[in-house]
Amino acid sequence: MTQRTRPDKRHSPNEMRPFYCSSALLSRADGSVRFKSGDSAVMCSVFGPMEVKLRDEKLDKAVVEVIFKTAAGMTTTKERMYERIIRQTLEASILSGLHPRTSIRVTLQVLTDDGGILSTALNAATLALVDAGIPLRSLAASVTCMIDDTGELLLDPTAIELERSASVHTFAFDNVSEGTLANMSTGLFTVDEYMRCYETCRLAAVSVQQLFRTSSEGKVRREYG
Amino acid sequence: MDDSTPASVQNGMDVDTPPSVTSTPAVFSLDSETFKKIHPTEYHRRFLSQGVRPDGRTLSRFRKAKITVGAITTAHGSAMARLGETTVVCGIKAEITEPKTGAPRDGFIVPNFDLPPLCSPQFKPGPPSELSQSISEYINRVLESSKLLNLSDLCIEEGRAVWVLYADIVCLNYEGNAMDAAMLALVAALKHVRLPTATFYEADNAVRVKEQRTIPLKLSRTPISVTFGVFDGQFILADPDIEEEPHLSSQLTVIIEQNGGLCGMLKPGGSALGQETLTSCLEAARTRATHILGILEGALAER
Repeated sequence: MTQRTRPDKRHSPNEMRPFYCSSALLSRADGSVRFKSGDSAVMCSVFGPMEVKLRDEKLDKAVVEVIFKTAAGMTTTKERMYERIIRQTLEASILSGLHPRTSIRVTLQVLTDDGGILSTALNAATLALVDAGIPLRSLAASVTCMIDDTGELLLDPTAIELERSASVHTFAFDNVSEGTLANMSTGLFTVDEYMRCYETCRLAAVSVQQLFRTSSEGKVRREYG
Repeated sequence: MDDSTPASVQNGMDVDTPPSVTSTPAVFSLDSETFKKIHPTEYHRRFLSQGVRPDGRTLSRFRKAKITVGAITTAHGSAMARLGETTVVCGIKAEITEPKTGAPRDGFIVPNFDLPPLCSPQFKPGPPSELSQSISEYINRVLESSKLLNLSDLCIEEGRAVWVLYADIVCLNYEGNAMDAAMLALVAALKHVRLPTATFYEADNAVRVKEQRTIPLKLSRTPISVTFGVFDGQFILADPDIEEEPHLSSQLTVIIEQNGGLCGMLKPGGSALGQETLTSCLEAARTRATHILGILEGALAER
């Protein structure tokens, strides 16, 4: 494998960008998190369980609303697709049956986008749900990877690297089940390449899960001593 | 679907007759229609545990696909796709526009998928629903990233005039699985497009277009969308219909081309899906794509 340095000075194609999170930043929100992965950053706030609009009310579970806002400009179809993917992924993790006839609103605000924004947003949303104390079945961790025009797999690509992509794959994995919660792949790729990306992202998701764990432990220590 | 719980309710009219006279005990039972309304998920579960679906299909059976091209004569290319009763039409209108300065030779293709209130009571008038917007966006991404169309083929005069193809995909009757039908209608319509010869005249800064439409688009591949539904995280249902969709724990769409190469995978959340399931879905998708391609070729040859 070529030891080429990546544009943001990472040494290995299998290396993720440094990621970190800071929580409880907003006083009005029930839970809030800023999640940074390299130069991609998303701010997420969670409100709820709170009152639900009569029209959306579900008798047996909480309604999950996701709002995705870009750093600048209008909301386009891209954001609506991200909202759908994130909402359906979170719905699988949230124990919504515990809060019937309520609404849980997750608002995601992109601060900077340097590639892999869907993954960053999904990770931010999961952590914000933890921060808000919403009962969860599992934690969804998301990782993006791409295959470049030479066939090399690059984990967690930046916007510059994405320009040379033959295919881009975003996966979400949780910490309890075997298998992927969400996946969006585009570009041209073979089944073998897809499975390689799946495996790489699955392993990388473990390190994101570790961050979730450290962050939750820190929160418990802060709040309960 | 009988629920064999004996009813303890006595009919009020029978007070005169002693209970010993009625020999057969009253059994509480529901007809299948009522059961379906009260316990829709359980209704489906009981069918699926027997390896059959409420509409009579086996789990791995797709609905019948039908393609008609050239349904709209005023459009530059059009097609109608049907999956069972799901009907989607796609009309492609070519217009002339100025290219972007960054890409002076590149034309545009603008897919737009709509689920109007006409097609199902679940869609209301007003701004496009989240579902239709995300399908539009995903189709657009697949078109772009799979390099289906060489956009510089749409150039009329570099930096001055290019074709823009507006692909309007409209669902007429929604019976589930909009993604597959939309993608199929779009690809068939793109294959049916005939553009007229257009020449740019520097002198009057205008484009003249000939009457006859003769130039077909050069498509690099034929992506076919194949969707699976996952029920209870264990039953894989090929081509889920409208009755099954609300009870699915997850959906998986595979965009596959003729030689088995992939152009996209979409699993928008839901329950987890393991690697073996993905592999078997990919396998089934390949078989289905070959079948659909045959139908598509047939429909295009018929014209």
